[in-house]
Amino acid sequence: MNDKTYTDEKLNLFIDEELDTDENDEIRHSILEDASLRERVCQLKAVRELVGYAYETVPEPEFEGGVRNTAARHYIWKGIAASLLLAIGMFTGWVVNDTARSTQIASAADVFQYYKYSESADREERKIILHVTTGDIYAVKGALDEAEQLLASYREAGTPMKLDIVTYKKGINMLRLGVSPYIDRIEGIVENNHNVSLYACQRSIHKAEEKEGKQLVMMKKAVTDKSAQELISERLQKGWIYIKV
Amino acid sequence: MKTIKNLFAAARLKQEFANRRNKLYRLAYSWCHNTSLADDLVQETMFKAMKKADSLRDQATLDTWLYRILLNNWHDHLRVQGRNVELYDVGDESQPEHADSYQQSQIVGRVRSSVERLPMSLREVVTLADFAGFSYAEIAEIVDIPIGTVMSRLHRARQNLKQQLLDLAGEGKLPVKLMRVK
Repeated sequence: MNDKTYTDEKLNLFIDEELDTDENDEIRHSILEDASLRERVCQLKAVRELVGYAYETVPEPEFEGGVRNTAARHYIWKGIAASLLLAIGMFTGWVVNDTARSTQIASAADVFQYYKYSESADREERKIILHVTTGDIYAVKGALDEAEQLLASYREAGTPMKLDIVTYKKGINMLRLGVSPYIDRIEGIVENNHNVSLYACQRSIHKAEEKEGKQLVMMKKAVTDKSAQELISERLQKGWIYIKV
Repeated sequence: MKTIKNLFAAARLKQEFANRRNKLYRLAYSWCHNTSLADDLVQETMFKAMKKADSLRDQATLDTWLYRILLNNWHDHLRVQGRNVELYDVGDESQPEHADSYQQSQIVGRVRSSVERLPMSLREVVTLADFAGFSYAEIAEIVDIPIGTVMSRLHRARQNLKQQLLDLAGEGKLPVKLMRVK
């Protein structure tokens, strides 16, 4: 068999074991007889192996002080375990609780509407995380609009609620003095609502400080002693509702 | 008894998540070539997996499910990257890190540079196939494209890489274990 009989597409299928047995055997047999075909297959396979080889070992991400944050990993895995338990529970007909609802809800308006019309609505305190992951100026404005909307809705309904605004990655810029144009507005929200807390991811702050070569100045009311992963995982396990901006 | 079985199932899934983290990170790195961004993408994937665990109906699809979340996060990042008006630019986080001291192998450096020069649609498919080891059907599901498109993208990617790496792929400069033909 002339090696031109087989296109490279066909040879890709061969080396990736995507052909049926007959075609596979046919090419395998041809390779034994045809040095040129053998070389083409060898080259394609070498390319494939090279790509796999190139990413077998890659640089590890750097964390605070170059040490991997195992505590954060621990928390996030605990959170995952909790969610998995929940998921399995849902498969088998367990009662769905607030944590389950948190996986379904996308916006502040949805959250409020859900509880307003839910048959199980009561006057228990609602706990909500607003996760801000972007420094986009319009998204930050949107986050603050959402926060104020939530606070107003619950106040009007007479339902107690707690709101934690957790900033992560470039979202931390929302709470930076001299950077965020919304500092006064945020301070106003916190002063007028004792149930609102601000958090800036410790890990994101460290990363930004490394890149900028200077210390970041955050709002005094911003808590900065934990990573966003820790904060969110802890709260998800306790049934908080999660909204990502 | 059902509760105990569920606990075991949750523990097993948790372990399977943990087993996949490193490979998710390496695949993300093969797309962006940036350790910090790759780590963030995997963290985001874990956030979303955590929240969407109830949507995983069949554990047999855990791999494609997780990798699809990762790919969507990557695409979201690319979309947002060119659109945001940042409050403050903390520097370009997507600069390649090929020059760092970790890069020990000349071959590895050349291959990564070649992969990085591929158009993104080809880069994703070739790394899913050649690094992550997914079948064409699985890649089609992860990337949400027809199998025929997977085949053509893979073909174009490998042709491109072959041209760039011809001396490595054809002149016996590879490590011995890479030269074996099945």
